[in-house]
Amino acid sequence: MIQLQQVSKRFDGKRVVTALDAVDLSIAKGEMVSLVGASGSGKSTMLNLIGGLDTPSSGQITIDGERLSGLADDDLTRVRRDKIGFIFQFFNLLPTLTCIENVALPLHLRGWTRKKAEARSRELLDLVKLGHRMDHQPDELSGGERQRVAIARALSINPPILLGDEPTGNLDSGTGAEILNLIHDVHRTMGSTILIVTHDRGVAESCQRTVRLKDGRIIGDERRSSAA
Amino acid sequence: MTLLRLISFQYVRKHKLRWLLTLAGIVLGVAVFVGMHTANQSVLRAFHQTIDRIAGATQLQVSAGEAGFPEEALEIVQNSPDVRIAVPVIEASVNPGRGNLLLLGVDMTGDRSLRDYDLENNNDDAIDDPLVFLAQPDSLLVTRIFANAYGLKIGDKLPMSTMAGPRDFVVRGIMQSGGLASAFGGNLAVMDIYAAQKMLGRGRRFDRIDIAVREGVRVEQAQERLRKLLGGGYLVESPGARGQQFESTAQIYSLVSSITSMFALFVGMFLIYNTFEIAVSQRRSEIGILRALGATRRQIRTLFLGESVVAGLVGSLLGIGFGLLLARGIAAYVGAMLSEVYGVAQNVEDVAAEPWLLAAAITVGTLTSVLAALIPARDASRVDPVKALQKGKLQLIGQGENMRRRIGAIALFALAVGCMSMSHIRPLFYLGYLLAVMSAVLFAPTACNWVTRTLRPFLKWLRPVEGALAADSLIESPRRTSGTVTALMLSLALVIALGGIARSSYKSIQDWLVIALNPDLFVTTNETLTSRSFVFPPEIGEGIATIAGVDLVQMVRTVRINVRNTPVMLVCTDIASVARKAHLPPREGNPDTLYNEVAQGKGVIVSDNFALLRKFKLGDVLELPAPDGTLRMPILGIVTDYSDQQGSILMDRKVYIEHWKDTAVNVFRVYLDKPSFEPAVRARIQEMYGGRTRLFVFTNQDLRAYILKLTDQWFGLTYVQIAVAVLVAILGIVNTLTVSISDRKRELGVLQAVGGLRSQIRGTIWMEALAIGFTGLVLGFVVGAIQLYYTLEISRTDVAGLRLDYQYPVNIALVLVPVILGAAWISALGPAESAVRGSLVEALEYE
Ligand SMILES: Nc1ncnc2c1ncn2[C@@H]1O[C@H](COP(=O)(O)OP(=O)(O)OP(=O)(O)O)[C@@H](O)[C@H]1O
Ligand SMILES: [Mg+2]
Repeated sequence: MIQLQQVSKRFDGKRVVTALDAVDLSIAKGEMVSLVGASGSGKSTMLNLIGGLDTPSSGQITIDGERLSGLADDDLTRVRRDKIGFIFQFFNLLPTLTCIENVALPLHLRGWTRKKAEARSRELLDLVKLGHRMDHQPDELSGGERQRVAIARALSINPPILLGDEPTGNLDSGTGAEILNLIHDVHRTMGSTILIVTHDRGVAESCQRTVRLKDGRIIGDERRSSAA
Repeated sequence: MTLLRLISFQYVRKHKLRWLLTLAGIVLGVAVFVGMHTANQSVLRAFHQTIDRIAGATQLQVSAGEAGFPEEALEIVQNSPDVRIAVPVIEASVNPGRGNLLLLGVDMTGDRSLRDYDLENNNDDAIDDPLVFLAQPDSLLVTRIFANAYGLKIGDKLPMSTMAGPRDFVVRGIMQSGGLASAFGGNLAVMDIYAAQKMLGRGRRFDRIDIAVREGVRVEQAQERLRKLLGGGYLVESPGARGQQFESTAQIYSLVSSITSMFALFVGMFLIYNTFEIAVSQRRSEIGILRALGATRRQIRTLFLGESVVAGLVGSLLGIGFGLLLARGIAAYVGAMLSEVYGVAQNVEDVAAEPWLLAAAITVGTLTSVLAALIPARDASRVDPVKALQKGKLQLIGQGENMRRRIGAIALFALAVGCMSMSHIRPLFYLGYLLAVMSAVLFAPTACNWVTRTLRPFLKWLRPVEGALAADSLIESPRRTSGTVTALMLSLALVIALGGIARSSYKSIQDWLVIALNPDLFVTTNETLTSRSFVFPPEIGEGIATIAGVDLVQMVRTVRINVRNTPVMLVCTDIASVARKAHLPPREGNPDTLYNEVAQGKGVIVSDNFALLRKFKLGDVLELPAPDGTLRMPILGIVTDYSDQQGSILMDRKVYIEHWKDTAVNVFRVYLDKPSFEPAVRARIQEMYGGRTRLFVFTNQDLRAYILKLTDQWFGLTYVQIAVAVLVAILGIVNTLTVSISDRKRELGVLQAVGGLRSQIRGTIWMEALAIGFTGLVLGFVVGAIQLYYTLEISRTDVAGLRLDYQYPVNIALVLVPVILGAAWISALGPAESAVRGSLVEALEYE
């Protein structure tokens, strides 16, 4: 489902930083993988590359059979919007829109009709148990609730891949656990391929597979069958 | 100071373009201010200089309005025991081919005791020897400057067209530069007074007598005695006094310039305000850090005010530069107009501003900038260091402040309405105008909010995501937008007002032209209809009347006279035939008896603008200075007549001839039996007189086109103002969008992360720009309606005496919609591109 071949990412500034150094990684369909490593090890960089938010300096990334390199910006956006759902650490909801409008955002961007988009958003908000907060604006919600809206938004287009950069990083442990459960539910019921960056050992260990990064290289890749 | 250098300089360097754009606001205001006032002053100065230089050693001047006076007056003056020297003068502006030339007709034998001709090579023989200059009527003295311009040497011929047909004049002497020779920019020629009378068709009349008083006699004493001697029809004044009445007219233009530049500065102020507001919100975290490091609120405020002073100074200096350029153009226009009104030719050769004006410009420009920065500087000083450092949503206009603003707006508006009801007291009227504008400005943010809120559902319906986000961006950050919208509102209001004036004056003048100005042909001495240097003898009119196909010839004499110290146009013609031919009902007066009584010399008719401007009513008695004494005439009727900006008085020609002893004619108005005779009659007139005199024939259409072209000036001004509005729109919107994009970087990043295409991101920014433009249009149209009311009032009562109907310029408003929205869209192109080009990863990062 996700394939990285010799992917490198360098940032050319005053000093050249190699955030990712010839990484090879392959994630199968339906896998739920956690990405761990010290701060600055290149986790976010990798996630951004996979999500098509950024382009690699060299190497090849393939998403669901489509090679990302060489795609024009709009085509990259199309891949992103058809295949990938993002969950951010800081939720990144649009403050002026209501919950339901936030969830419907990707659908509208795809040109769905108002009716269809609204029905689908309702369904998703029910799924994340926020059916009663549809018309509230994000700043009226708690952190956990906001993240659930963000997940609903990521799921709205039913993406085969879900990417999360420290989705529980900004939440207390109880709420974090709730969100983690929600992600596991999604994994189970929809069979999505999920990749989450985390600093939380518990979150990492709840996944079937954990990839460990250090200084832009993969130094560990462990699978556990015990995980749900 | 160190802070200013360390912090502000860096910021300005990073946002060079934005700062330049902002300065444009101040530059514009100061340029208009400096340009208009410098032009006025330069014209006045040139005018005084011409008078002074030509005056020479003259102590007193005798004149009797533009019509001049019969030669006999000279003898009376010369016989006065108070007078040492008295010489006759004719002064006229003619065009020998390359621009205007001031022609001085003098009596060379006596004149040199007053004026120093200072001929090159001491070639005084040319004027000393009566056989050289006087005996040859084609003699001409020219200045060195003029000789160079036309490539003339002594003995060369200069052809000029005269009332006796084309003639060659011979250069008999060249005056050295300086003194007299530098009057009128050096475009001066001197000829014998009798030759000048012939050339200009003046008959046996003089324009002026220049006098030096006898030793031992006080000038005031001589003046008093000469006045008694000559009677009320003559003016006896020192040369300097001639310039004084001129200044009162110039003051009106000064008023207009002040209002215009005030508006420009106001618009500039909002552009600056906007930029500072934006700078404060963009530099919040920087301010937070400074505060955390120990900067006091006061230091922060001083930092921003310091920046505004620098911006104001730089903007003012640039503005002065542009203003001086602008002044050249305006000076030419104002100068031409004032020369026409006062009959004193002047040539504005050096346009230079006076030091106090430059100081005032810098002060005003800097003050505007500081004023604009006051609120942003206060906001900056109130930034909470803790909150500023943890980035978050900012909402700067507090609810309370908004409320206060609204109440202030309503209070000012109520006061403005109060002033309006007492607008007969002029200062109150202008105060009301100012209050109304202020009220609109205070109310603008609220109105802006209303409009965008109303717009949101529509935009959302149009494009669910892009539309809603664009509207939200405006609603959520009033500070970002309101300055731009206010600036746009003010400049559009000015467009509407000017357009309204242009439209109604065009219409009224056109109506008047059709009804009142209906002769088929006009025969004049000049290609420009306003010049009155040359005049016809009446015989030519009698000759034209004999041509087959001519029904009627009206002889019209137009001269400027002074009524209550202001120059007015006296129009003298056969009133009975006017009553028969032009069916324009009088505004006031009995239409049945009016023309008969005026024809019998029982009174005069005045134009509506004269009555309005000089505050005369029907029945009032006018005191007209005629050479044979003051003529008292009641106003029997008031008519619509746009022939003169200063107002006109209609008198029967017989009455005029009786009192002025002047039979000259400026225009023959020719009515034909059938319009189709026009080409034949025209050809016949040319055939009879073309070679024998100076004569130009205009058809009715020519004349209408000429007059309507003059009114097009208003339209021209409207177009200039539209251009300014477009500029303001672009400056403001680019500014607002640039900041909007940097504020919403994250939001736009999210939009792209969840699948927004570039075109969709662009779309939302375009829509934001269009919404700003639209809001500016709506507010501008409303404020324009108010502005138009005040402008019409000002032009009616204080400037032109034009009674114009209130007509909203719908056509111009309709043109503005696509123009401003187009400008908005163009302004959005750059910012939108920069929004989609940025790095997505960076946009999504928190810090
Ligand atoms: N835009 C950039 N310009 C220069 N260097 C960058 C840029 N983005 C990231 N880096 C560098 O790349 C390296 C990897 O960064 P990355 O954000 O992927 O780390 P991370 O593993 O996500 O860390 P954290 O756990 O703190 O989020 C770091 O050394 C960082 O300094
Ligand atoms: Mg990271």
